[in-house]
Amino acid sequence: MSDGVKRVLVLVPFPMSPDQLAKRAEQQDEVALPPGIELHYRSTRAAPSSYVSAHDYVLADISLLEAGMHAQDEGYDAVCIDTVSDSGVAALRSLLDIPVIAPGRTMFLVASMLGRRFGIVTMWTRWKGLYERTLRDLGMEDRCAGIRSIDRKPDNRNLLAGKEEEILPLLGEAALRLVDEDDADVVCLGSTTMHQAHEYLRATLPVPVLNPGPLSYLAAETVLALGLTHSRQAYPRPLDPKQDMITTMLIAAAESESGAAR
Amino acid sequence: MRRVLVVVPFALDEAGLARRRAQTTEVSLHPEVDYEFRGVAAGPTSFQSQHDWLLLDVAVLEAGLSAEDEGYDAVVVDTVSDSGVDALRSMLRIPVVGPGRSSLLFALTLGRRFGILAQWEPALVRWRKALDEWGLERHCSGIEHFDTEPDFAGLIGAKSDEILPRMEAACERLIEDGADVVCLGSTTMHEAHGFLSERLSVPIVNPGPLSYKLVEMLLAAGATQSPKAYPQPLVSKREMIHAMVRGAAGESSP
Repeated sequence: MSDGVKRVLVLVPFPMSPDQLAKRAEQQDEVALPPGIELHYRSTRAAPSSYVSAHDYVLADISLLEAGMHAQDEGYDAVCIDTVSDSGVAALRSLLDIPVIAPGRTMFLVASMLGRRFGIVTMWTRWKGLYERTLRDLGMEDRCAGIRSIDRKPDNRNLLAGKEEEILPLLGEAALRLVDEDDADVVCLGSTTMHQAHEYLRATLPVPVLNPGPLSYLAAETVLALGLTHSRQAYPRPLDPKQDMITTMLIAAAESESGAAR
Repeated sequence: MRRVLVVVPFALDEAGLARRRAQTTEVSLHPEVDYEFRGVAAGPTSFQSQHDWLLLDVAVLEAGLSAEDEGYDAVVVDTVSDSGVDALRSMLRIPVVGPGRSSLLFALTLGRRFGILAQWEPALVRWRKALDEWGLERHCSGIEHFDTEPDFAGLIGAKSDEILPRMEAACERLIEDGADVVCLGSTTMHEAHGFLSERLSVPIVNPGPLSYKLVEMLLAAGATQSPKAYPQPLVSKREMIHAMVRGAAGESSP
């Protein structure tokens, strides 16, 4: 596209109604994006019900790969994934030349620029495996001071709406324990679905608080401005890309799910 | 308009500062952010011994110490050594960004392991120390140099025919050794970034321009260094530090 506008595709990891997608899109109001960046949100065709087991991780990877694998041909300049799990990022990077931003690892690396160690505050204990996976993959386990959960099963479609009064103080308390007891210099929000808690935590905590969704948009802008993208050396292309097969799989998955719902 | 102070680690004349400022044209920057370049008042002549490193820490600290009071919104230190960054972070609440540690961490968003292009053999000792200190040794595939004495004022300039192929060859060695991403080991190498990016098969991180974008990112995200990681001194010796470096500048004047 030649109008100078950079279009970023944001992949939301669950099938969503337009209202629910709009709640995800509200993240862009939380950060002053530079002029010339446009965000377009798209949900996956099918998904695991949550991201808590190896079964879920595989389904998350393939559903996000399918949702974003044509982004370059569609004229997008970059792809962001609306999940701290970084699901699908590695496979998307192997197919696409445009930057694909991983919010989890980006947040942990930016946190490491701001302090010695970071802590992760999260909604649900069962999400811990996701963070540990990324930290192991990054080789940065020793930089994570701790993971504290308030152990409330999250609503990945309606987010915190209507539950703020109950949830926010709990998150504040858990985050403060990361700082006081676990010695975290920086607090990372454990999910892009927690974005509505960012302002509250920022105002109440004595350390920086990173909000992974908006941070990933800024990271996309940064790599685009620098003319960079992921390394082909680290993300080699497949010999034989199977995009058609992958699309067929996800259409079948969506049909299977709607059949199950009937 | 947000104002960012860029501290240049040498006492440069206007032409030397302009060559540093040219880094801002190598990247698309936010129209509402203004970058002002300032050289240190006095400092070391080279950057290859612990004596030099210490003097540069003091010089950069002095140059940026009053940035918050002067109305700046952030500080960038224009050297990959991150000289003075920790001390400035202990005294300022506005973001202070050093291109060294942050460019290596940023490289890990693009690939699994980075290689570092160092200037010449005497630069290696500092790089090894930095990797230890930043805990990034395991992420580094190697360090190669192109055996050229740095010119902190003239940069690469007219010597490009001779220097650029040597830089390219050193980058090729890094890639052979497993680098997914190459980090330029000095902000003074910025003039080579275009040449190298066109010829090499991996992303080349240009630390100066990157540091401006990271500052913009932090300003937009409302984030700054952690006051917990960079505690304030009990007693600030600001006037003493200014007096020291002003004294040094007077002494070294002809």
